[in-house]
Amino acid sequence: MSVALVVDDSSVNRMLLARHLASIGIDSKEAVDGRSALDALKTYGDEVAVVLLDVMMPEMDGYETLAAIKSDEALRHLPVIMISSVDELDSVARCLEMGAADYLPKPFNPVILAARVRASLADKRLHDVEVAHAEAQAMLLETIERQKAELSRFLSPQVAALVSSPEGEQLLAGHRREATAVFCDLRGFTAFSDSAEPEEVLGVLREYHAAMGELIVEHGGTLEHFAGDGMMVFFNDPVPQPDHVERAVRMALAMRKRFATLAMRWSKLGFELGFGIGMATGYATLGRIGFEGRYDYGMVGAAVIVASRLSSMAEANQILLNPRAHAAVEDIVAVEPVGELQLKGFSRPIPTVNVVGLRAGNAGVETAAAVLSHG
Amino acid sequence: MTDETPILDDAIIAELRESVGGDDGFVAELAAAYLAEGPDHVRAMEEAMARGDVAGVVRPAHTLKSSSAALGAMRVSVISRAIEHAAREGRTEGLETAVAEARTAWEQTVAAMNERKLAG
Repeated sequence: MSVALVVDDSSVNRMLLARHLASIGIDSKEAVDGRSALDALKTYGDEVAVVLLDVMMPEMDGYETLAAIKSDEALRHLPVIMISSVDELDSVARCLEMGAADYLPKPFNPVILAARVRASLADKRLHDVEVAHAEAQAMLLETIERQKAELSRFLSPQVAALVSSPEGEQLLAGHRREATAVFCDLRGFTAFSDSAEPEEVLGVLREYHAAMGELIVEHGGTLEHFAGDGMMVFFNDPVPQPDHVERAVRMALAMRKRFATLAMRWSKLGFELGFGIGMATGYATLGRIGFEGRYDYGMVGAAVIVASRLSSMAEANQILLNPRAHAAVEDIVAVEPVGELQLKGFSRPIPTVNVVGLRAGNAGVETAAAVLSHG
Repeated sequence: MTDETPILDDAIIAELRESVGGDDGFVAELAAAYLAEGPDHVRAMEEAMARGDVAGVVRPAHTLKSSSAALGAMRVSVISRAIEHAAREGRTEGLETAVAEARTAWEQTVAAMNERKLAG
């Protein structure tokens, strides 16, 4: 039930108003002057939905009371209906300017009273709904922001940004583009995980993931997935990278170098592990793959399969490229041919090269020999 | 002018009763409240006049005007209204006489209400 605060110094007026309000289903609280009205508003708080306020009262008159209500952040939205006799229309105008919602002429007419009070209550309800809506909206936005932040811990930074961007839906829907896929995994990992303690296996994986993950982010790669010791990274999507093949090769070289450092330490602990990479450039379809409840941002196409096969065929420390990837970086990397490899599922053999290192003159010269000398 | 105004306007009392769904009990309560607080307003006007506080006459006159009108005590209401306006504008001429008239009208109103057993 709605509650009205009736403020009038005349008990006759308060009784009459309360009676008329009761007949339209509104409970009344009463106050004899402005000061006790403000006290009542503090006490009853949100209960009060409308204030009926007399102008002429002892202690604190209607103007002061109205001004106090309208300057209080918590009370400002409360509709205030001024109670006024017909010969006080000047003061009514002043009160309306000060923010009063309406006025009620004396002597009271129950029909007019009901109409004005109901209109004010409807305004108040609308305001309350708006406030509740705004609060819900703010909470929703906060949740989305929190989920985005949470999400970015699971997704590669590029995909997390994509998911929250305006054009995200369009990109997620799937598109074709040239891209470079990179697969890498550890040699000897299966044997290692069979013989080592689970804690040691997890420790090695954690170190390996941390080191490689850092290099993926540094080179702008999109990590599609990792499974145990295997990882798949692609370039040129969702963020276009004109130098995607070069980025992929530089990442692969940096990984090989970083792996050598890790492997040296592991070998002192008796863990013999190697590292191989396969890389292929080609047109592919990129976008959302999976099913409701579990989607990935993925790359689908022959290049992905070629990269995967090359990775399985790579010997420790090899970085194998398909012809298209090689063609894109032949000016900056030194390679050695490894022959025409017959890959499972492909009818024709694929001429493959292994990256030895960057050609002289390209920043950060790294050669396989330099890498091997670490170990 | 005030002599032409009835002490109690039966039409207004009938209207009041109708507006509360013919609840005589409520009308009686209202009349009792009016009879209880009325003397305070009359006295407040007299005391303000006695100490020369013309502005102090305005509020009690105003309150008496509206509660009297609600109960059909039209002569008190009309006199109070005249007092309220004169006092608000600082017109003191005849104000004392008007307050005395209000006292007389008030006593007549009490008698008339008692006669009709309005307050039960």
